[in-house]
Amino acid sequence: MISVKELVKESRLTGNYFAPDAYIQGDLESGLIENRGGGRLLALPESFLRAIYEGLQEEVGSAAEPVLYKCGTWWGKTFYRRFAEEVSKSLGRPMADIDMIEFLQCFKQCWKTHGWGNIELDFDFYQHGFIVAQITNSAFAKASPTIDKPKCFVEAGLLSSFFTGLTGQKLHCIQTTCESMGADSNYFVLGLPERVKRAEAWLQEKHDHATIMERLCQSQMDRYLNLE
Amino acid sequence: MHTELQNLLYAADDHYLSDADLDQFQKTVHSLEERIETYEYIRDREISMLQPAADYLSEEFPGTDSKTLERAVMHWLSILRYGSMAMLCDNMEFLNHRILEWMPDLLEVYQLRDIEIAFYRLLQVQLKSSLSPAQMSLIKPYLEEAYGVLLRTKSTLQPSA
Repeated sequence: MISVKELVKESRLTGNYFAPDAYIQGDLESGLIENRGGGRLLALPESFLRAIYEGLQEEVGSAAEPVLYKCGTWWGKTFYRRFAEEVSKSLGRPMADIDMIEFLQCFKQCWKTHGWGNIELDFDFYQHGFIVAQITNSAFAKASPTIDKPKCFVEAGLLSSFFTGLTGQKLHCIQTTCESMGADSNYFVLGLPERVKRAEAWLQEKHDHATIMERLCQSQMDRYLNLE
Repeated sequence: MHTELQNLLYAADDHYLSDADLDQFQKTVHSLEERIETYEYIRDREISMLQPAADYLSEEFPGTDSKTLERAVMHWLSILRYGSMAMLCDNMEFLNHRILEWMPDLLEVYQLRDIEIAFYRLLQVQLKSSLSPAQMSLIKPYLEEAYGVLLRTKSTLQPSA
């Protein structure tokens, strides 16, 4: 017997906490943009992002890539903590009681509302120990000055920290395709470092995302069967 | 914000509203009174309108556990609430942003399609018997939009401008 009265009383019937018209709020008098939790937001112009890439390239050359990845991991660590608190507060439940699908749906909407593009998560390779993230309209890809290889190191770092926080396991993230190189979207693979870093060599050989995923999964199967 | 009023506000950026615009303004204000009444009616009878639909749902799916059925009922409680607010503001985008962009993935994972379709039909019956035709005509577009986006096809939402 379903009691609608009890459902209304006990359940928080929330919609999209991160809906842009609700999440981003401003005080025009003081020139502030804030999220609905009162946290200050800052808009990053494209020229600023471009300057970060160019400045780092000028100062540290090829070391810019690990620097950007590290920035992403720092950002991702605090982002995960703040995000988890916000979701728990908005849904009125502790993290342990929140369905993973709800949590990830919040993550997608949060990503979109912050203007970082659209993110989709693919768990088809989960059995092999990999998660794939697909990002379209990435601000970082757009600001990237060169087109010779994937450039979204900040996002890769952020995703690695975020999913490390979520899974409780140290994960590494590698980008396999990039909008700056003409691809339709940016693909990222997440997994344990010793597994996912194998993709670096295949990336240098210019293999596409599908081939890299096939090889990563096969490599995992071979290890499982002890053929390597 | 009420879409029609907002549009008129933007239209009057550098001039007074014309007679036609003022007529539209008046119609919108009058419509707002009807929308407020409808919103209050639905708000105050939320439980009494949805309980019979929930009872019929239990009869239609006797082998399904109550938690699963409750999940479907909660979805439509949310849709009705946000739909009512969208109706009040005459703003379909409000419903899109708050619920219809949010829910499709949840529905796919929980695989409640058949149950949700059944509950939608039961809900329509309850609402038709409770609301006046004028009130029904105000809320119906929002419920139909929700049904279309969530249950009929893959998302029909266009990206917002």
